Amino acid sequence: MPAESSPAVRLSGTRIDRGGRTILRDLDLVVPRGSIATVLGPSGSGKSTLLAALTGELQVAAGTVEVLGAPVPAGSRALLEMRKNLGVLLQGNGLLTDLSTAENVALPLRAHARLPEPVLQRLVRMKLHAVGLLAAADAWPRELSGGMARRVALARAIALDPPLMLYDEPLTGLDPIASGVIMSLIKRLNDTLGLTSIIVSHHVHETLPICDQAVVIANGGIVFAGTPAQLQDSTDPLVRQFLLGEPDGPIPFDAPVRNYGQEAA
Amino acid sequence: MAFASSIRALGRSGLFALTVLRGSAPTRELFSELVREIYKIGARSLPIIVVGGAFVGLVLTLQGYRTLTTYGALDALPTLLGLSLYRELAPVLTALLFIGRAGSSIAAELGLMRATDQIKALELMAIDPVARAVAPRFWAAVLTVPLLTGIFIALAICAGWFEAVQVLGIDNGGFWSHLSANVDFWDDFGVSLLKAAIFGAIAALVAAYVGFNAEPTIEGTSVATTRAVVNASLLVLMFNFVISALLFN
Amino acid sequence: MAIRGPRLEFSVGAFLLLGLASLLVLALASTNRKIGSTGGHYTLTAHFSQIGQLRERAPVRIGGVSIGQVDKIALDPVKFDSVVTLSISDQYKDLPSDTSAGIYTSGLLGDSYIGLEPGGSPDNLQPGGQIAYTQPAVDLIQLVGKYMFSGGGKSSDASDASGAAAPQTGTTP
Repeated sequence: MPAESSPAVRLSGTRIDRGGRTILRDLDLVVPRGSIATVLGPSGSGKSTLLAALTGELQVAAGTVEVLGAPVPAGSRALLEMRKNLGVLLQGNGLLTDLSTAENVALPLRAHARLPEPVLQRLVRMKLHAVGLLAAADAWPRELSGGMARRVALARAIALDPPLMLYDEPLTGLDPIASGVIMSLIKRLNDTLGLTSIIVSHHVHETLPICDQAVVIANGGIVFAGTPAQLQDSTDPLVRQFLLGEPDGPIPFDAPVRNYGQEAA
Repeated sequence: MAFASSIRALGRSGLFALTVLRGSAPTRELFSELVREIYKIGARSLPIIVVGGAFVGLVLTLQGYRTLTTYGALDALPTLLGLSLYRELAPVLTALLFIGRAGSSIAAELGLMRATDQIKALELMAIDPVARAVAPRFWAAVLTVPLLTGIFIALAICAGWFEAVQVLGIDNGGFWSHLSANVDFWDDFGVSLLKAAIFGAIAALVAAYVGFNAEPTIEGTSVATTRAVVNASLLVLMFNFVISALLFN
Repeated sequence: MAIRGPRLEFSVGAFLLLGLASLLVLALASTNRKIGSTGGHYTLTAHFSQIGQLRERAPVRIGGVSIGQVDKIALDPVKFDSVVTLSISDQYKDLPSDTSAGIYTSGLLGDSYIGLEPGGSPDNLQPGGQIAYTQPAVDLIQLVGKYMFSGGGKSSDASDASGAAAPQTGTTP
């Protein structure tokens, strides 16, 4: 078992390709255990690609990716074991539509933990209570609002108490109150359960207040990694354009020339 | 080039079939999913099978009567009805109706699961999505299509009996004795059920493969549904010939 | 999908019951119920000069009751008559050795079958033995032709193909 002192995530000299193209290169990143890191960046900059490398969906083309002290495995059995230690909140929630809320949360418990049924039910209710949705235990996913569905997905992701949590655009499509609920939950769960959290988002102002480390990805690499205070003080023109939301700057207003219209419909 | 990619597609679907079989461990989860799928694809296909069977029986009897009276061979009508149903019409028509109703819904459901990240969520939870989503549907199809075929034949024979005996005036006792004398238990009844099971497997595998591997978009789901119905129907018709040729050389 | 729990299980159970019941009723009412060889069989052979429409799996009957089926039909390369292998159920082991076999049709246009006529000999046919007395199939068209063109004369033995005085109308065996 990897030592507890090893960081939750470590990338060194990593290059990630997808579809034959290099998306990210020269990545060097360390996420200490127990901390919250936010991965920010413009759309299409490769944030989801980074997550895919962490979950093992993509193999790195060069360099290493270590999760919880061990390199991300390529073989399926080792990958399955690693994924049991990972909690992922997906952008689309991924709730199974033919199961109720409680049964969705129970999924990982049934699959990986041999528990007597009453204990399992108790655990499910605990997780739902932690996200404030105990009353919705018997609801169907289609009956839930966007924010509630996301909270159920969060409860499911922490069902096995994974040491590392990954959040893929957790605030998409949420109103300010629901956003606030999710961010406070991420912070609270991280601190009370001793998790490490990595949030991929482009919602700068909601995520900066709770994170310990901010990473900005643009132009195929990491352009900034540091504390939120350092981010606010950065003079890098790209970071400033991103933070202030300026329409023109290092990322120009006019779309660059590309071979549009060539793909078959 | 296109030929090579078709061979690769065939290989991929073969590998997919193997993963379905590997994911079919008899667990309690599989069993409860199986029950739910039998309802969705079996019980809910009943109306179309019942109505289809009845009308096929009626028209078969009618057309058979037209032709056989010309040769004064009306005695052969029940035999004609029984043998054409058991040997070809019932397994094939039931399979095609099943593909249209349940095959399309299997492809659509799996495509939708792909598009709404449900399959990805299962993979990231280290749960085999094929074992959870595909295997129950596969075994439900293998189990229900023979049952649906039996119901189809029962309805068709009853409707045919009604048409022949009540409307066209054929002798009742003669109807049943000619029918049962000429339908062999293993060669006709047994083979019919075997064909039905094979067709159910083919329908479920094709629909599941196409839906599972659909593009994760709305358009991808609809393309998958159409392709599932077309490919599954063609494969059923081809395999029907192959099975008949192999068994009765 | 709103249906759950007890209602779901009831519906599935009812569907399975309906399906299995249909299959059972079909099997009983519309098939010949020949589930299979209950008990052993032994073989006998018989030579015929003409088998007509006889096929494999055709029934072997005594007095109309089925006691076995035709296993194999082959041509004897020496004598050029057909060698028919019969599979008889072990229940009917004691067929007299002077039993005769003939090829008949059930009804005017029906399937051919082999009918056995037991003789009176005290010895029995042994498994693998040969039926000595056989009668070939009747070629209906030939018979009618002979009758028509011989002016309704003597009803000749239909197997005697060479002895016809009238022109052949059917195919020569």
